[in-house]
This record gives sequence, structure tokens and C-alpha cells, in this order.
Amino acid sequence: MAEERLRVDALVVGGGIAGMQASLDLADQGYHVALVEREPSIGGKMIALSKVFPTLDCCSCITTPKMSAVAHHENIHLFTYTEVKTIEPNGGSYLVHCVEKPRYVDTGLCTGCRQCEYACPIDLPDPFQMGLSAHRAIRVPFSTAVPQKAVLDIDHCLLCGKCEKACPVDAIDFTQGPQDLVIEARAIVLATGYETTPRDAKAEYGAGKLSNVIDGLMMERLLAPTGPYLHVLRPSDGKEPDSIAYVQCAGSRDETLGVSYCSRVCCMYAIKQAMLLSGALPMADITIYYMDIRTFGKGYEQFYQNARAMGIEFVKAKVGRITEDEYRNPIVRVEIMEEASRVEERKHDLVVLSVGMLPAYDPRPLYGVPIAEDGFVEAACPNIAPPMTAQPGVFAAGTATGPMDIVDSIVMAGAAAAEAAAYLERHDGEAKTYAGRSISMGEKEAIHA
Amino acid sequence: MPEKKPKPETPATFARLPKEAPRLGVYICYCGGNISDVVDCERVAKVLGEQPDVIVARTNMSMCSDAGQAMIEEDIREHKLNRVVIGACSPFLHEQTFRGTVSRAGLNPYYYHHVGIREQDSWVTHDDPEGATAKAIRLMNAGLAKARHLEPLEPIRLEAKKHALVIGGGVAGLRAALDIAERGLKVTLIEKTPFLGGHMAQLESVFPTDEEARPALHELIEKVVHHPKVTIYTSTVIVATKGCVGDFQVQLRPVARGVRGVAPGIQAAIEACPVEVPDEFNYGLTRRKAIYFRYPGCHPPTAAIDWEHCTLCGECAKVNPKDIRLEREMTTFQITVGAIVIATGFQPYEPRPGEYGYGEYPEVVTLPQFIRIMAMAEDAGELMWNGHPVRQVAMIHCVGSRQVPGVHEPQPDGKVNDYCSRVCCTATLQATADLRRRFPQIRIFDLYEDIRTYGRGHEEYYRQASLSGVRFLRFHTEQGPVVIADPTGEHPLVVKVNDYLTWGEELEVPADLVVLAVGMMPGPIEDLIDVLKLSPGNDRFLLEVHPKLRPVETAVTGIVLAGTAQSPMNIQESCAAAEAAASKVAGLLSQGLVELEPFVAHVDLGRCTGTGACVDACQYEGAIQLETRVIDGKEVQRAVISPAICVGCGVCVSACPNRAIDVQGWTLAQYEAMVAAIAAEIPALVEVEA
Ligand SMILES: Cc1cc2nc3c(=O)[nH]c(=O)nc-3n(C[C@H](O)[C@H](O)[C@H](O)COP(=O)(O)OP(=O)(O)OC[C@H]3O[C@@H](n4cnc5c(N)ncnc54)[C@H](O)[C@@H]3O)c2cc1C
Ligand SMILES: Cc1cc2nc3c(=O)[nH]c(=O)nc-3n(C[C@H](O)[C@H](O)[C@H](O)COP(=O)(O)OP(=O)(O)OC[C@H]3O[C@@H](n4cnc5c(N)ncnc54)[C@H](O)[C@@H]3O)c2cc1C
Repeated sequence: MAEERLRVDALVVGGGIAGMQASLDLADQGYHVALVEREPSIGGKMIALSKVFPTLDCCSCITTPKMSAVAHHENIHLFTYTEVKTIEPNGGSYLVHCVEKPRYVDTGLCTGCRQCEYACPIDLPDPFQMGLSAHRAIRVPFSTAVPQKAVLDIDHCLLCGKCEKACPVDAIDFTQGPQDLVIEARAIVLATGYETTPRDAKAEYGAGKLSNVIDGLMMERLLAPTGPYLHVLRPSDGKEPDSIAYVQCAGSRDETLGVSYCSRVCCMYAIKQAMLLSGALPMADITIYYMDIRTFGKGYEQFYQNARAMGIEFVKAKVGRITEDEYRNPIVRVEIMEEASRVEERKHDLVVLSVGMLPAYDPRPLYGVPIAEDGFVEAACPNIAPPMTAQPGVFAAGTATGPMDIVDSIVMAGAAAAEAAAYLERHDGEAKTYAGRSISMGEKEAIHA
Repeated sequence: MPEKKPKPETPATFARLPKEAPRLGVYICYCGGNISDVVDCERVAKVLGEQPDVIVARTNMSMCSDAGQAMIEEDIREHKLNRVVIGACSPFLHEQTFRGTVSRAGLNPYYYHHVGIREQDSWVTHDDPEGATAKAIRLMNAGLAKARHLEPLEPIRLEAKKHALVIGGGVAGLRAALDIAERGLKVTLIEKTPFLGGHMAQLESVFPTDEEARPALHELIEKVVHHPKVTIYTSTVIVATKGCVGDFQVQLRPVARGVRGVAPGIQAAIEACPVEVPDEFNYGLTRRKAIYFRYPGCHPPTAAIDWEHCTLCGECAKVNPKDIRLEREMTTFQITVGAIVIATGFQPYEPRPGEYGYGEYPEVVTLPQFIRIMAMAEDAGELMWNGHPVRQVAMIHCVGSRQVPGVHEPQPDGKVNDYCSRVCCTATLQATADLRRRFPQIRIFDLYEDIRTYGRGHEEYYRQASLSGVRFLRFHTEQGPVVIADPTGEHPLVVKVNDYLTWGEELEVPADLVVLAVGMMPGPIEDLIDVLKLSPGNDRFLLEVHPKLRPVETAVTGIVLAGTAQSPMNIQESCAAAEAAASKVAGLLSQGLVELEPFVAHVDLGRCTGTGACVDACQYEGAIQLETRVIDGKEVQRAVISPAICVGCGVCVSACPNRAIDVQGWTLAQYEAMVAAIAAEIPALVEVEA
């Protein structure tokens, strides 16, 4: 079988905000970039957020144009639904073997019209909506997805053929298989991002079984204009909550979960959500139970003070346990630290766990990049060269290197681009021996295996 | 990667194409609810769809998304649209995005007009949906009027100097200089003081790695100093600039060092100096001479004269007449650069006299001073301060940070420092750990509001401090700690504090040393702000264009920010920001060509009579000039624009008695059409506006 090989200057792994920005910063300097994303669309976690602190811009306003810029940049080759399988050093470059997973849709034909989606009879929990609503077994991942191409979940497909019939351009192809691809890259940027603490991580907080105890990302969806209900409703009974509580450090600074670090973003996102909730539900009482409020970024302290002025209640407290009453109202057992750790039980309609950040990907097996005790990519020289790893030519950006917010992820992506560019320039001579600049230009050439 | 040869182009002359009938596409963005929560976008689209020349009028949840852009592209192709009007957020955010969309569909990108119906409408009129909808229709209608008069334009292309100026020789400036140089561009780095390294040189071991600050810094300095693409000027400041991105002409003023080379025997010359002044390296805790090294092993390894304090007595020159010259002045010189990186850093907050006893009691010091005290202290035995052994230390957080109006006294400029300085918590706890390790007998109290050990590895300092018996007391802003002399005389001081971890009870903490964890303020860069026309934010730090879209760029294209000139940051964050700034500079300059907006003045030679009124009115030297031309055999004067210098302010337009000048993209005819449309009667609005 013919194997496609692509030669580029840099491979970027992960198409969240950090990976997109690193790709754009390299491409703008004239380097050729291959961006590999394992999901069917780029955008990462950010595209699912509502509005973003500290500016409260709608998240799409920031993310979608970047996604579009990535898709249209002449120096960026975008591969979605693609995973890296193996990597081999190749005298100054890396040969990266990737597999593009089958979408069962011919992306050359698909126009994203969604007729297949309307025809499909299968409903599945929609991960984009954090499981709060459903999507079809075949669907365009979400309204602002890039690329706007359908993808079929073959594991849940009945093979009923309704989509095939509905598709006006005959793009459905049940026979599709995985597609191999080899990318030859001289430098690599890892931007594999983060996961959040699983909602069931902590038995004391109901182990994920209390339906009105949700996490921060679910609240993002409830607040988003493209959310599941277009209203903030609590999951158990669809009631508008009158009393909402945030439990900070739910998964961070918690030795019992083996996570001793601070996740940096949760204070700010809780305050942001509280502010947005005050807009969406003006009558609701909002309480934030915290250990320390860490609004350290530019303009963040002022943001916090505004929230206090708006009447959001901040209580320095440790939450020991969450249970529920017969109406499924969460009951929070708090130790109020400013009152000599007096213990009190408080009832709310909805509790939001400000879950922390965990690494999404272990780069050791494939990339030989070490991770630190916290599981995130270890920097070889954290102070002076933050994106540099111990592996020559491999750099890291965004939350792959530890919890951080969007601003810091974007800055770090720019930094990784600078490091990668400097590396490419330094190793220019070596590169010439295998490829020469004139052909490391990203043109596709078929090499017969 | 082969580089395209830069081809400096003369500004395009704009062939006015024969007018085709306008075919307008109108797009109204929901902005994810930002607009549609207030403005009835569907109604706006419907009303506009009925206006003359409008071929399509559509809405979208997020017009800037790929799907939204694809829709516009398709419409342009399918409906042969020749003008596009988009009502969305401020043009500042996405005008560039949509220019790309329009040009991808094959239309000149300036055949598109952007109307801000978020900042100018939905956000400011959110309590009146009907009114906001009517306003959106009016604004958009004016946009349509302008669009009918749009002309195709070409961006101005300029050769970009492959040379960047970095201002500030702290860790951020050094990092940026190295990255830009590694990218193959020339770099000039200027440092105001005679020595490199900034504040990092004054630290000992640094969080989160506990590595020694100066060796790490020196490694970076060595790389920069020895890089063939980098030129460094110490004791140099910028005094004037002209030009724009790609071509800034910068006037630099160096001050002589007074000392040449390694200067053997320089130590004897320093000893001979009769002048003694507080040594800023140790934050005034020690004294130095008026001819000095910053610290042993500093960069450059050449002593310098402190002209401010030197009395020109000549004692040093007597010892070393060969290498010392007591002549301060040097001539200014000019360099031309394509981009400028501002890395002018911070200064520690200087408490007011009397603030927590600072300046009143010698036992009250700042954290930077405490770090120097620890650096100078002998490890053996006891820590001595002011002649006494130190038995109890109190650390007070948030001094000069997180200030609240009405609680804290304002700074001289009338503002309080309402921001968090983000490094002080971890720096304090790291200093605490050092103190604990070296002098385990000392009792430590930590007075805080919130402990913000947010970064990777930072929390560990907090944990260790708690484990090692540091006593944490939490105060509320409104009831900050008070430092007084110890009435019992047992210790020099007592700190009174209401501790909210124990019901807000007032506690008295006797202390031999009180350390104020002072925050960060931007350095004194008013001159620079003036010269470069920068805008500081409310917190006085330099302002980025947009924290997410363009976090290291200033509003002036080609001027970028690195490090703590922008906001408080630690070393890691300063370096990341500096590298990001270097990426932007490389993106701008590496192709050797920059593109500027064509919104500059344009002279209609048919109407110009050479009065010169425009030249007199123009504020930008060289932007508009009179040139002699031969027309019909006669020599006449005509105005000529230099597009790279012209900023498109339009002053010349109003000065011209012949209406011979227009600003491209914003012509008088366009304005007149817009004004007429704003005032016009729109049938669909009669009821609403009545
Ligand atoms: C509830 C919540 C609210 C938040 N709100 C805000 C806010 O208001 N403002 C703010 O600044 N920040 C906010 N954040 C933080 C923000 O989400 C992150 O800073 C940002 O999304 C990080 O981007 P990233 O690119 O590093 O990671 P991600 O968004 O996680 O992107 C990583 C990408 O890499 C892909 N990937 C992973 N592994 C692989 C692999 N092996 N191969 C290929 N692809 C791979 C993933 O699929 C993903 O697309 C919030 C976070 C949470 C949890
Ligand atoms: C008490 C304390 C302890 C700290 N401890 C740590 C730590 O342990 N770990 C850590 O990561 N960070 C620490 N930091 C933070 C660290 O010091 C800063 O992040 C870092 O020094 C910032 O570097 P910079 O280059 O941005 O600024 P600076 O170091 O301030 O450098 C700016 C340079 O620009 C020069 N300059 C200013 N104006 C001009 C002008 N107009 N023209 C030319 N040159 C000019 C200045 O002279 C200076 O050399 C600490 C900070 C403090 C206050």
C-alpha cells in the first residue's frame, strides 16, 4: 500500500489553544507545521467553555477564529482524528508514524450539512455537552467544529444505512479503514493538554453519584450559549437553582487524591461562573467555599473584588463531605475556618465541584520526554527555558506542562514556537544532510512501502 | 526554508475601477449571545435584507467561526457579492479575520466594512432590547451606505529591517534577545544601568528549582554576549523614535562607563574613591563607592563610574590613569530597527515611611532586603540584626499589593495598588524555608490574607512551612497588622494582628525582625512611554492589546512586551513572555517585509493646487510634502504622501481648501453617505423609534 509521507519543519501534537497558537506562531515565521489532533475537531477544552476570564469574552470569539486561521494557514497541515503510533529518530529529524482513524465519512465529499445526523436513530451522551445531552451516532462534533465534517461512532452504529441514504453527496463510507501516515519533522511541540479530576474521584463528595453535584466543565456547558438547555437548570429535575455552592480545590491541594499542587485556574473559573450565574439567575444565592483565593494574574484580583462587590459569598472553609436529602438537594458539611473550624451543614440546590487539572497524556513511551512527580511534562530548565524538555528538539506548551489558564497557555505556546524556531535554525546544517531546506517544505510525496 | 527576497514596493496607486453595481452581503453575528441576548438579530437581518442592493442578509451564532466564514465565502462566490458588511464585535477583534475571509473568496479585502454592534450597542444598551435592535439597524444601515462607496485597496508593503531593539537587560530582555538572535535576526540590547541582569542578579536561590540565581543568569548572559548577532549597550537609554514597524529610527543616548576593559589594579582605584553611597545592589543595606562593580563576577566585568555621585575629584584616575577617564558625555547615535521589545522590568514597592513601621524601626525590612541580609549572614550560630540576635521573625504579606481604596493610603499618583503581585507569596515562603534551614531556632510567624502558591512546585514551600512549624495568621484587609515598639522591651517590636483563623482575636507577636513582602511596581519608564507612545494600564504596567488574542503585543504594531514591564511575573513567566515576544518579532521580521493598513491620506492630483495647507497642518514629519512637478509644461507644487509615515489621522483632509485629500478607506464621500444613512428614515423603525 502506498504510504503518504509529509516532511515538515515542526510537528505539533494537540490542537487545543496551546497547540493551535504554537502552530500559528511557527507558521507565521515561515516554517511548515503538521498539527495532529486525536479528536475529530481541534479546539481542545477551550472551545467548550462559556465565557472566559478575565475579559469575559465569549469563548467562541477567541477560539473559533484561531481554529479557522489554523485550518486556512498555507503553512499548516492539519490532521484531525489522528494519533501518533510510533516515532523513530532519523538523523536530526523524527519519523512520526500516525494513524488517521476512520470517520466512515469521505471528508473530501462531506459538506457538514448534517443530513446524516438528522437521519440517524441512535442517541448517545454528547461528550461536548459533558453528557448533559445527546448526540447521534453520526454527527458533526459541534457547531463550530473544524473541520466541519461528520464522524460516525461505529461502536454504536446499527448499520441501518439511514445516514447513507440521507447524505446528499454520498460521503458515507462504511468500508473506511485506518489510514497510515508518516510525518518527518525536525522539531516537535507537545501540547497535549489536560483532563479534569474525575467527578467520582472523591467518595466524600458522593463519588459522582449525586446528580446535583456537577463539575466546573458541566457548569461551563450550562452557561454556554450553545449549551444543552440554554438555561441553567439542575440535572435531577430541571429546576432553576436558587442556591448554588462552589467547592474549591475539589481535586487539587488534596493529598488524599495524590494531587498536592494547585490547579491555578479553579479560583478564577469559579468566580467567573459565579458572576455569569448572577447574570443568568439574578435571584440566586451563590457561595464559594475556599481555602485560599488565588487570583494572581493580571487583572484577576480586581475581578475577585468585583465579584465580592456583586454579593457573591466567599467562605473560607474546608468541605468535608457532600450528601443529599430526599429531594436530591446537596448537603454540604463545611468546616468554617474563620470560626475556629466550626462544622456546619448547609443545604444548596446545586453544588459545583471546582475540579482540578490532571495531565492528559504521558509522553514518556513515545517521545522519551520525562514527566515530573505531578505527571506533567518536566521542563529541563524551568526558569530560563520553560518549554524545553530533556529530549532534543522536543518542546512543550500549555497545560501539558502543568495547570495554567488560557493567557498563560498562549504565551507558553509562543515561547515553545521561539524555542523550536531557534532549534530549527541551529540544526539547519544537519537537516541539509538528509533533506535540504528546499525539500523540507511540506510538499507531500508518496513513498512506496 | 528559502527566504523570499524582500521587494520594497512603492505605494500602489489605486486604479479606480469602473464602478459595478453594488451587490451587498450583510451578516449579523449573535456573538454567542453577547449580541443576540439583547439585539433581535433576526429582525435586523430581515430589515436590512429589504434595503437596496442587499442580495443576502444572514445571521450566525458565531460569524467568526470557520462555519460562519465559510458561509460568507460561499455567498460571495455564489451570489457574486462585491461588498460585505458584518455587524459583530468591535472591528479591533476580528476585522482582520474577516478580511481574510473576503480575500479567500477572491474579493479585494477592503470591499468589506465592519460594524461594531457589541461594544457600541448590545453591551452598552443591554437594558433596552428594542432600542438596541433599532440602533443596530441604524448602525448597520450606515455601514451599508459606506459599503456602497468602498474602493479596492492594497496594503502598503514595506521592507522590514531584520533587526530588533531590546530595551532592558534583565532576564526577560536577555531571553528575548537570545531567541531573536537565534532566529537569525540582528539584535541591539540596551540597558539603562552599567550592568546586566536586572533584579534576578540580586536573588540567591530561586523558586521553584532552588537553583542559584546568578550562575543561571550568567549562563544566559554569556550566550547573549557571545552571540554574533547581538550588540549590547549598557548605560544607554532611548531618547527619540520615528517611523513605524519594519523601520523604527531610534535615537540612543549612551553614557560613558569611565573605565576601560578589565583595568588591572582597579580595586585599588575603587578603594581610593572618597565617595560612599548606599549600594542599590543590597537595597541600601550596605554602601559602595562612586566607582564600583555591581557585585563580584558581574557582567560586564568592568567597573563603572556612578556619575550621579562622582565628584570628579580624580582620586581613582590617579591610581589607574590608563583605564579611567572622567568624561561622562558621549554622543547620541541612531539605529534603525524593524521591531522593539520592551523589557524594562519592575521595581519593588517601596513602603511609605511609617507603613508597618518601615523607616521608623530598623528592624522592619522589605523582602528584597531580607534576601540580601540572608545572603550576607554567616551560617554559624545566630542571625544578628541591628546588634541583636534574631529570635522571632514576622513576615507580612501583600505590602503594596491588593490594596483597597479607603483602607490603604493611595500612592502619589492617587491610585492604590489593587493588583496581586503574584511572586511575593512563594518568594516569602522560600525565604522562610531558607531561614528555617539555616537558623532552625528562630520562630517564624507568617501574616497573610491568602497564600497564593499557585505555580508548579510552589505549593510545596507552603506545605513545608506548615510542617516546619511556621505559624500562619490570617488577617483581613480592613484590619491589617500594626507594628509598634515592644512595650515590655523584651523584643524590639510587637506586631498586633487580628487572626481570623481564631475568631479574629487580636494577637500580639513579638518580633526582632519584621519582613514586609513588598509587591511589584513597574520601573520608572514615563520617558519611554512618551517616546514610544505606549499606553500603561490602570495598574501602570504596560498594556497588551488583548490578553488572549495578542498577549505580548502593544497597540503600536512592532512594539512587544517581555517580562515584568507588563505585569508581575516570576522568572519562568518572564522568560516565557520574552520568548513569546521573540516569536512575534520573528513572525514580523523574518520575511523581511511588513504590510501596513492602506488607511492613509491620498491626494487627488486633479484637485491639488499646491497650497501647502496640508503640509503645515500635518503633525507627522515627512508624511506629506510638496513636490515640484511639470504639468502642461508648467512647474507646479503638488502634495505627495509618504504612506509609511502617514498615520491616516485626517488633519490634512480638513486643512485642504480644495477637498483634494481623502483618507483611503474613510473618504469624505463615505462619511457623508454614512451620516445621511444614520439620519434617514427607515420605515421598519418608525414605530419603534416613535
Ligand atoms: C471548568 C473550567 C473553566 C475554565 N475557564 C477558563 C477561563 O475562563 N479562562 C481561562 O483563561 N482559562 C480557563 N480554563 C482553563 C483552560 O481550559 C485551559 O487553560 C486551556 O484550555 C488549556 O489549553 P491546552 O491547549 O493546553 O489544552 P487542551 O485544551 O486540553 O488541548 C489539548 C488538545 O490536545 C489533544 N491531545 C491530547 N493528547 C493528544 C495526543 N496524544 N495526540 C493528539 N492530540 C492529543 C486533546 O484532544 C486536545 O484537543 C478553564 C478550565 C476549566 C476546567
Ligand atoms: C523579593 C523578590 C524575590 C523573588 N524571587 C524569585 C524567585 O525565587 N523565583 C522567581 O522565579 N522569581 C523571583 N522573583 C521575580 C524575579 O525577580 C522577576 O521575575 C525577574 O527579575 C523579572 O525580570 P525582568 O527582566 O522582567 O525585570 P528586571 O529584572 O527588573 O530587569 C529590567 C531591566 O531593564 C532595565 N531598564 C529599566 N528601564 C530601562 C530603560 N528605560 N532603558 C533601558 N533599560 C531599562 C533595568 O535597569 C533592568 O536591568 C522575585 C522578585 C522579588 C521582588
